[in-house]
Amino acid sequence: MSGDPQGCGAPAGGVAVTENSSGEAIIEGTVTGDGAPASVGYARLLNEGGEFVAEVPLGPDGGFRFFAAPGTWTVRVLAPRGARAEETVTADRGHTTTVALSVAAP
Amino acid sequence: MSRSDVLVDADWVEAHLGDPGVVLVEVDEDTTAYDKGHIASAVKIDWRKDLQDPVRRDFVDKAGFEELLSARGISNDDLVVLYGGNNNWFAAYAYWYFRIYGHANVKLLDGGRKRWELDSRDLVTEIPDRPRTSYQATEQDTSIRAFRDEVVAAIGQRNLVDVRSPDEFSGKLLAPAHLPQEQAQRAGHIPTARNVPWSRAANDDGTFKSDDDLQALYGGAGLDFGKDTIAYCRIGERSAHTWFVLHELLGQANVKNYDGSWTEYGSLVGVPIELGAGR
Repeated sequence: MSGDPQGCGAPAGGVAVTENSSGEAIIEGTVTGDGAPASVGYARLLNEGGEFVAEVPLGPDGGFRFFAAPGTWTVRVLAPRGARAEETVTADRGHTTTVALSVAAP
Repeated sequence: MSRSDVLVDADWVEAHLGDPGVVLVEVDEDTTAYDKGHIASAVKIDWRKDLQDPVRRDFVDKAGFEELLSARGISNDDLVVLYGGNNNWFAAYAYWYFRIYGHANVKLLDGGRKRWELDSRDLVTEIPDRPRTSYQATEQDTSIRAFRDEVVAAIGQRNLVDVRSPDEFSGKLLAPAHLPQEQAQRAGHIPTARNVPWSRAANDDGTFKSDDDLQALYGGAGLDFGKDTIAYCRIGERSAHTWFVLHELLGQANVKNYDGSWTEYGSLVGVPIELGAGR
């Protein structure tokens, strides 16, 4: 069920964790398709049980942000023509977890 | 009531763009989506600015709703087709709201803006010029709107359906995860409520699941279809989506949406709250 159509399943660009001062457990990232920002599409956040938690449209730079809680979450991207990508991430209070995903170009 | 009485699909909308007597309305909390591109001929309604009283926490009053629809060029006998982002949350809220003020001919675009975009259908930036009308609303139909005292009295008596995510229901989160975690004073849910997240009623592309799937979903969650039902979420928009499913798609009688929802209930003094996962 890896959403990386290139096949290796590893997060493209890796996952970085940085401090944030808000105390929120933030998960944010960007989505690309064929190396360019994927500006049409949606990022949805699923909990550990695979249940839908939230969804946002991708920004013009392919970006998204969620305010989660400490724990393990899955980010799933829906893009035109059935393109999908998916990564599992962990979130912590006061940290920003950054993830990069890539989908097949629309 | 059948699906075709309350829903249209994207092909139908494309075939009827510009038909006299059909008005497309995009409804969102964040209206920058409309400004960047919307379905041709659609007018916009801003959930916050247009549908909420600017001072009190309540709807705009009857005169305010009449002014809004008149200014948007909507007539009493127009077919209003609503759509929006967030899997039609705010469009479903507007649908419920139009019903409360007595608009008879209103439908949702199945899948809303998301399905339209995922289909790569056309969006435009031109703002339509609709001549002003003299819209007449009815008094509010509160048979589909629940208030807090009624909700407290319904504990253990009626079906209470909490349509938020399991993590909001259990008390782990206070708001959907695309929003900062604030609002209510306390986390948790109303005792005896069943947690049936709104998202289980929708496919990934935002369209509604089949009637059979929906019936199985709510029956399996322990809803007694012989009882009256109140649905709630955080501010009443996701529960409008579930109200639409139960009342409009499944034809259940006596379903109300509690728009005060958790931001009101979770801040009330002295009411019971349950924590933890649902039953």
